[in-house]
This record gives sequence, structure tokens and C-alpha cells, in this order.
Amino acid sequence: MEKRTWKTNLFIAAMIAPSLILTMGIIIYPIINTIVTSFRSSDGSGFSLEYYKFIFTDKIAVNNITYTMGIVIVTVMGSIVISYLLALYLRFTDSKISKFIGTMYLLPRFIPQLVAVYAMITVIRDTGLLNRISRLFGKDFRPGLMYNAKGITLMNLWFNIPFATMIIVASLSAIPDSVIESARDVGAKKLNVFFKMILPLSFKDVMIAMTFVFMSNVSAFTTPYVIGGNNPIMLGVYLRKQFSEYANYELAAALSVVMFLFSSVSAVIYIYTNLKEKEWEKV
Amino acid sequence: MGEKIKLEIRNMTKLYKNNDGVRNINLKVKEGELITLLGPSGCGKTTILRTIGGFLKCDSGSILIDRKPIEHLPPEKRPTSIVFQNYNLWPHMTVYENMAFGLKLRKIPKAERHRQIMEMLDLVKMTGMEKKYPNQMSGGQQQRIAIARSLLLKPEVLLLDEPFSALDAKIRSQMREELRKFQIDLNITVVFVTHDQEEAMALSDRIVVMNKGTFEQIGTPADVYNNPVNKYVAGFIGDMNFIELADKTIAVRPENVLIHRGTRGGIKGKIRATMVLGHYSEVTVDTKHGIIKAFVSCENSNIFHPGESVSLSFTKFHEYDKKDLAS
Repeated sequence: MEKRTWKTNLFIAAMIAPSLILTMGIIIYPIINTIVTSFRSSDGSGFSLEYYKFIFTDKIAVNNITYTMGIVIVTVMGSIVISYLLALYLRFTDSKISKFIGTMYLLPRFIPQLVAVYAMITVIRDTGLLNRISRLFGKDFRPGLMYNAKGITLMNLWFNIPFATMIIVASLSAIPDSVIESARDVGAKKLNVFFKMILPLSFKDVMIAMTFVFMSNVSAFTTPYVIGGNNPIMLGVYLRKQFSEYANYELAAALSVVMFLFSSVSAVIYIYTNLKEKEWEKV
Repeated sequence: MGEKIKLEIRNMTKLYKNNDGVRNINLKVKEGELITLLGPSGCGKTTILRTIGGFLKCDSGSILIDRKPIEHLPPEKRPTSIVFQNYNLWPHMTVYENMAFGLKLRKIPKAERHRQIMEMLDLVKMTGMEKKYPNQMSGGQQQRIAIARSLLLKPEVLLLDEPFSALDAKIRSQMREELRKFQIDLNITVVFVTHDQEEAMALSDRIVVMNKGTFEQIGTPADVYNNPVNKYVAGFIGDMNFIELADKTIAVRPENVLIHRGTRGGIKGKIRATMVLGHYSEVTVDTKHGIIKAFVSCENSNIFHPGESVSLSFTKFHEYDKKDLAS
């Protein structure tokens, strides 16, 4: 390769500059600013950890964190399990119904979040569609799904199952039929085929789907804001409240950093599973 | 090869939704015999193999191994083992784990498992590969392990679905020879599916020539080559010239065509081209019946020149009635 002259270097720098400046301006600067703000002390005397201490000791804040984590974990587990079952059905069943579901399951991804949330409300609220149907039969069924964790989780599943299914279906489709057939041929029953062949061969993509679902839900805002109650609240709503209603910028900043750290745990898992190629995956 | 019938297919029919498939298949395979199902793609050869293996349910008829019907059993309960064209091995398991999987399911103790695997690896000359993953091996090595894995389970019938067609020509013929050697040494009954007539000729005790879901001819390689029962078989196996006459078709192999200078032969023509193909040469002759191909020994090939007038005679030929040419 030719040695680069200072002119080419300058040219490269000039080409990179616009995107670099933009990144610095709208991503790096706010991040640094937020981190600095989060360490400020309330009396303005300097830096302290008091807001972090507050987040992890204050009863309401801790309650919000556990509430958020609870919802996120149920969402992740629920959507992965349901998606895996759905993906297995779509991959291994060849019928008109499975083909129909195969073309339809992504539809929820195309509906704007807010529209979907309000649509769901008209169905699940205590005077909603379910209630009206029950009244036709002389009952008064109140789902009780509004303003609590159940409603948020239900909505989260609604959004995340199609997404996770998409990833897992792609993963299962990459397993050749001959791999499964030769396993049955040597005597493996269905459960054995699943645990010894299908699961290990799709495990990595399941992990990836899990991290994505986790990250998008830990910082969710729209759904908990519209469906959720007043206390406890999810971290996204809590953050907005501190910022817009109480103008408690330092606490809001510290909350952002904490939420970022939660997300980065799953980001680390994602990067780790992606980078760590097992011996058999290397080409 | 004994006289005992190992595998029998009785009146088996398997049709797909589009009405493709196989109809009224009857076949008896003797113990230790290697039988090849040969035909173009879509003729139903793989369908038959998959119904024997249990991956397809037959619509009617029965399949018997050692006179016991097996058509109702799922693949995992059948005494057969299948090797596919590719992706046979489980990519997340080493060679050793691949081979151990079936033995573990059969609850064979660890030490015995180890002994059997090492013995089998030795037989297929793959000792030292046990820690490798499939993607670290060549296609030929993978197929060899796939066959070894099947043999390890001592199947009553080994089913091979074009196992060598993804390999390059040289490895393919080497694998063929090796397979034939194991098969004879271990006296295994094999049903082999291929679309490659050369492969079928080289390997088989008997060949089943298939066309559109039915059997056209069953016979030894020499049988189907020397006495093809109809025009289809004649055209499918080996090189063949067809001469269309008013009421019949004459089929003659290029090695049975003699070229004469002058007019001694019955059919007149002009030399079109000669091509040296190693130990023999191919001479094409333009006649009023179209182009006729002849094989001549190399020494004789340079006595014919393009454009020269010659005549042809046949030492051996087959006649087929026009009526059954529909096929």
C-alpha cells in the first residue's frame, strides 16, 4: 500500500469532520453534561454521590426500580417463551394457518405505539370491549388491567412478541432439515431433538432477542405513561416527572445514568454473545 | 450377498398434493445387496428412500424389513439409517459427539461407546479427527463421518441419498470405492439414490432405473447397459445413438458403430469431427438420420478426416417399437 501523505490525511480528516462534530454535539456533549450534572451536590458546593444514594435508598425510588425490573423481566421471559413457541410452530408446521400467521405476525410492528396503546385500552379497560361482551351474557367482567403492572406487561408483550419471533424464526430457519432428520434417524425423540439440536443451535439468537427486548423495555415511556398507575411508576415516567414537573435536573440526570447502566448490562451480554464465537461457529 | 430378502416394498404408493410421487412400487432387496435407484430429478427416487427411512408416510402398501412391516413406525424407531446429500452432521458437536449421540440414546455404556467409536473411526481412516467440528473438515471428510455415524448404529438397511453429489469428481470416485469396500466387508444392505448413471454403474449390484414415479427396469449394471428394455432406459444409461425409422427406433451404442471407408456399411455419411478422449476417440458422422456418434480406438482415429465420405454398420443394436415411444 502507498504511504499516506499529509494531504490525504487532511482530506480524510475533512471528510470525517462533519459527522464527528455532529456526534460530539448531539451525543457526546449531552452524555458528559448529564454525567457531570448527576454528580453535582444539592447545595451547589461541588460534587457528591447524594443523588445516586437517593435513588438506591429512597423508598419511592427503590420501589420504582423494583417495579420496573419486575415488569421488564416478566416481559422478556414472556415474550421469549411465547415467541419461541410461535417460531417453532411457524418453522415446523406446514399448514394454511401457519402460513397465514407467518405473514401476519409482524403486523403489530407497523402500528404506531400510541395508536396501539389506545386501541388496547378500549379493549381492556373496565368499561371496554371485554366488559361489554360479558354484559351481553349478563355478567360484569372487569379485567382490572388498567393502571397497574398487568396492563403494561400485556402491552409490552403485544409489542415485543412479533419482534422476538422475527429473530427466532430467522434463527430456526437457518437450521437445515437434514440436521433434525438425521437426529431422529439415529433415534432421538422430539424432546431430545429440541434440547440437543434446536435449542443449542438457536441459543445465540435467543440471547440477542432477549437483550433487545430488555433494553427497549427498561427505558419504556409511552406504554407506562398511558396505561400505568401513579405509584409505583416505571423509570421512564419517573425520570420525566423529576425533569418536567419537579425540575429536579440533578436527580433526573442521575436516573438517566442508572438507566443507562441497566441497559449496558444487557448491551455487554449482547456484545459478549456476539463476539464470543464458539469453536463450531468459526468458519 | 445372501439369498435372504432384507427389505421388501409391496405395492407402495406415495403421492403429493400435486399428484407427483410414486405409484405401486414393488421391490425386493437381498441381504448385503447394494441397490441403486437411478433417475432424473423429480422421478421419485428420493421419495422412496424417505418413505423407507420414515420421513414420509406412504399412502398405501407396505415396507418390510426382515419380513416385519415398518411403515407405521416413526424414523427413530426404524432399523434404518440415512445419509443425506449434505448437512448431515450436527454443527455444534465434535466428530466424537456426533458419533456418540446415537449410542448414548441406546444407553450404551461410556467405555463401550468409546471403543466402538474409535474402532469405526479407524475403519473409515479418520482417527485423530474426533475433536474436530464439522466446519473444520472438508465435504468428503464430513460425508465419511456421516456414513461412519450411520454404520456405528448397525442399521439393518443403510439409506444413502445422493451422498457424494456435493463433492468434487476425484473425491467422489474415491468415496465410491471406499463405500463399496465397507459395504462388502460388513455385508450391509444399502439403498443408494443417485441421478449419476456412472455412479450407479460403478457401485451397484442392481440398478433400478426410474422415470416419473415408476420403475422402468431393474437389473445388474451389465443388464441395463446391454439390454435396456425401452428407449428411455437406453437413453438414460450410457451413450446411445437413436435412429428414427417410420415404425421403429434403432438404438446403437457408439462402441457398436463401425466406420468403413467406401460403401460397405448400410448407412452413408460424412465425417463431421473427431475428438480424442484419452484411450479412445469419438467420431461424429453426418447421416440422413442425423448425427451418429462412434467410438474408435485412438490408432484408428487419425485415418478419418472431416468431410470424408464413409459408411456405417452396427455390430449390435436394439429396436424399439414406435408405439411405446410415448414415454
